[in-house]
Amino acid sequence: MGKKEKEFQIKWKTDLPYKYSIGKLAVKYFEELKENKKIMGSKCPKCGKVHMPPRAVCADCLVEMTVNDMVELSSRGTLDGFTVVNYPFIDPTTGGMRPFPYGYGIFKLDGADTYMMHFVDETDHTKFKIGQRVEAVFKEKREGNLGDIPYFKIIRDESEE
Amino acid sequence: MPKHDVAVVGIGQTKFRSKRRDVNIPEMIYEAVKMALDDAQMEPKDVDAILIGNMDHFEGINFSEMWCGIDATPGYLKPVVKIATGGTTGSSLGICGYYNIASGIYKNVLVVGWEKLNEGGATTGIITAFDPVWERPSLAGALGPLALMANIYAAKYGITSEQAAKVTVKNRSNAANNPFAHLQMPNITLEYVMNSQMISYPLRLHDCCPQSEGACALIYANEEETKKITDNPAWFKGVSTAHYYTFGTDDIMYDLPTATIASKKIYKKVGIQDPIKELDVAEIYEPTSWSELSWTEALGFAEQGGGGKLLDEGITQMSGELPVNPSGGVLSTNPIGATALVRFAEAVIQVMGRGGKRQVPDVETALGMGFGGSLWTELAIFGKDPNPLR
Amino acid sequence: MDKVAIVGCTQTKYEAEKIDLTISELVFEVVKKLHNELGIINDDVGCVITSSNDFNDGRTIANMAVQDAVGSVRKSESRVSGDGAFAYVYGAMRILSGEYDTVMVVSHGKCSEGNQFLINNSIFDPFYQRHLGLDQISSAGLMANIYMTKYGISEEHAAQVVVKNRKNAINNPFAHLQKEVSISDVLNSPMLAYPLKELDFPPYSDGAVAMLLTNEQNAKKYTDTPVWLRGYGSCTDAYYLGHRTMTDLIGLEFAAKEAYKMAEIKNPVKDLDVAEVFEAFSTHELMIYEALGFCGKGEGGKFIDNGETQMSGSIPINPSGGVLSSNVGMANGLVRVAEVVLQIMDRAEKRQISDAKTGLVYGMNGICSQGNCVLIFGGE
Repeated sequence: MGKKEKEFQIKWKTDLPYKYSIGKLAVKYFEELKENKKIMGSKCPKCGKVHMPPRAVCADCLVEMTVNDMVELSSRGTLDGFTVVNYPFIDPTTGGMRPFPYGYGIFKLDGADTYMMHFVDETDHTKFKIGQRVEAVFKEKREGNLGDIPYFKIIRDESEE
Repeated sequence: MPKHDVAVVGIGQTKFRSKRRDVNIPEMIYEAVKMALDDAQMEPKDVDAILIGNMDHFEGINFSEMWCGIDATPGYLKPVVKIATGGTTGSSLGICGYYNIASGIYKNVLVVGWEKLNEGGATTGIITAFDPVWERPSLAGALGPLALMANIYAAKYGITSEQAAKVTVKNRSNAANNPFAHLQMPNITLEYVMNSQMISYPLRLHDCCPQSEGACALIYANEEETKKITDNPAWFKGVSTAHYYTFGTDDIMYDLPTATIASKKIYKKVGIQDPIKELDVAEIYEPTSWSELSWTEALGFAEQGGGGKLLDEGITQMSGELPVNPSGGVLSTNPIGATALVRFAEAVIQVMGRGGKRQVPDVETALGMGFGGSLWTELAIFGKDPNPLR
Repeated sequence: MDKVAIVGCTQTKYEAEKIDLTISELVFEVVKKLHNELGIINDDVGCVITSSNDFNDGRTIANMAVQDAVGSVRKSESRVSGDGAFAYVYGAMRILSGEYDTVMVVSHGKCSEGNQFLINNSIFDPFYQRHLGLDQISSAGLMANIYMTKYGISEEHAAQVVVKNRKNAINNPFAHLQKEVSISDVLNSPMLAYPLKELDFPPYSDGAVAMLLTNEQNAKKYTDTPVWLRGYGSCTDAYYLGHRTMTDLIGLEFAAKEAYKMAEIKNPVKDLDVAEVFEAFSTHELMIYEALGFCGKGEGGKFIDNGETQMSGSIPINPSGGVLSSNVGMANGLVRVAEVVLQIMDRAEKRQISDAKTGLVYGMNGICSQGNCVLIFGGE
């Protein structure tokens, strides 16, 4: 008794295109990345905190940072945390699924006061260790976007002391 | 003390499930709304105002409250407003409702949080929360950052996977006493959690919360109206919120600074000096098992690094001094727009003594927590009267 | 009712495309200007209420983007996902509760970043309406057609609204479109959705607005001319276009009645000195006159014919140029509040209505006046 009620669904797909403004500091960041393999942060003129990624407002002081407040950062940092992502997820840059597993790290570049996250070239969590040094790997042909640093690599010789 | 005291007088929840294919969005929401109205013995026409919470992108409906407010709640010819703040939506909603009454503008308000996120792309929705220039290209939804937080916390304090797994065991077996919970696992074992697949080191599948569909509705009223409706309300003693930087990685947040800030604010307001002794139950928002360990510290239940010990000593178990998540928590049920409101609802149910099999004995004061966005915290404390403890 | 005051407000210049500014920078501009004007620092602000919309910004939890800019680190910030006027109401509630001394309310719109048609089409439910391609333009056309036919409103009547508002905007240094148009310009512009033509509709603008609210005890600390909330009403009309009375804005009527009752306004045209309304298209403003009780049903055309809503009339409407001159997405309602505040503070410069002591604001949510918020403000 009780016929299973038919459950109806309609499918819907919409493309919602956006044009996000990236701001003058981002424009300078990508220029320096592309032309000179330089990674730049922004330094608050009031409290001196160096922000990575660079942005226009220091949240603690509520003071503006401009292109003139940008400072060069090292391409090396120290790993403060890591994970190895082992589930499928969309790659927003391609629209397809990103192949997994892949490693992530959270670290401060030397010279920066805020942390950043990026891919790290290790997929075995037992080979990761907090405190390892990482270094940016730059693409040969850079285009001026985040993909110009496809990942950071663990500096093995320095860490294995 | 606010201008008007605020009490919760009616509660409604749907039975949370992974997919509610049997109902469309307004039908699902109506289940919770009807339950709350019946609970408060209120006619739809007597509702003064309606607040709705939901993330537009997850179901792909812009201004969803314009549709659901009319089709699922008594919103026609009444004020309908949406509050949407990501994971904290339910608590932002719950807190907005508090100010609606505390200000004296309305004498009662219906607060509804809902999500039917398996109808849309929730993971794609979540990724758009992140900055399109700096964060989106590399992030993998909410789990990646949560895994990093767990990793740093584990390394700093020497917390083990087993300690984290015990949280899942506690919460999902608690959920078996909660008729509304999504994942109810009365016989869950430590091995079951520890043998589950590694999703993002150190998070295993069963260290993470599910994605649920459902709705939760609460009805609030001021002191005069409450007298007419029920003699067993649960009163707001206080609310607090703390936000943080736009970029979640500006600060290493394994210990959730916003929970520390918000809890200090609310404990001061409510006169709590020893949370373990003076709170009787806490419904906290733990998206992963590791989060519960870390955030019990941030909320002042344990010292830094002591979350694991707190659990091991049984303090946060159902039989302990401060049971945490008798409802099963977020690890058992997670309908994003409603999750934080469910925490408030469950805290209220405990104060009212209506928790059935999940009731903690003699609850006078309960804490509800919301978490989300770029690691924000929202808190509410409920009690049998609206006054501070001292 | 207890008192809540607006003591200062700031706006950006509204423009078609502020391509060099991120949303955070856009909002920071008005927040910083507000702090500087009032001589306050971030610690003086108790909490922040923002208004934004995820679809408009192309970002889930769109308020995450503005945390740094509004100075909400370690503070309470909450977001109303809807028109800025509703965010003002939530901010006022926080003051009236007695728990905060100061609340900053901020709203922004960056229409240039998204596809407005797709964004508005997404408001319609996916079962019965969305596939019809309904959006803010086509639904306005339907409403205009039914309204104009029932009451004999002409296209010239509609065009008069555009001419009036576009002319008013020239006096508003913040307005996006600051060029006059003539009746024949409007009538000859390309037909978008019969009977409405391109110039019957607003442009799409980028901009932001911020204001500081405080209580009675603190108002005079910030300004000698605080602007007090005297009345408030909010009401939602039916959702499906087919369920609405397309000839009358019922939701707005209800909301206005509530607000008038609270503010003890018996004769709106006489008791109000100025009104800033959210006119989403030309005939919409005529319908608004009727719903607000400025004239009888169906008399919107006659009302504008008589010049009553001109700058020199008995109830000037939209001296700022209205939405038809600057359409800032979710910020529109809060911009209306800011403009009435400037009028009452006697700071509206070239667009000042002399002796403006009581003003009305109408903020709208959703399509064709589904969500309605009416606010009455008064000076000392």
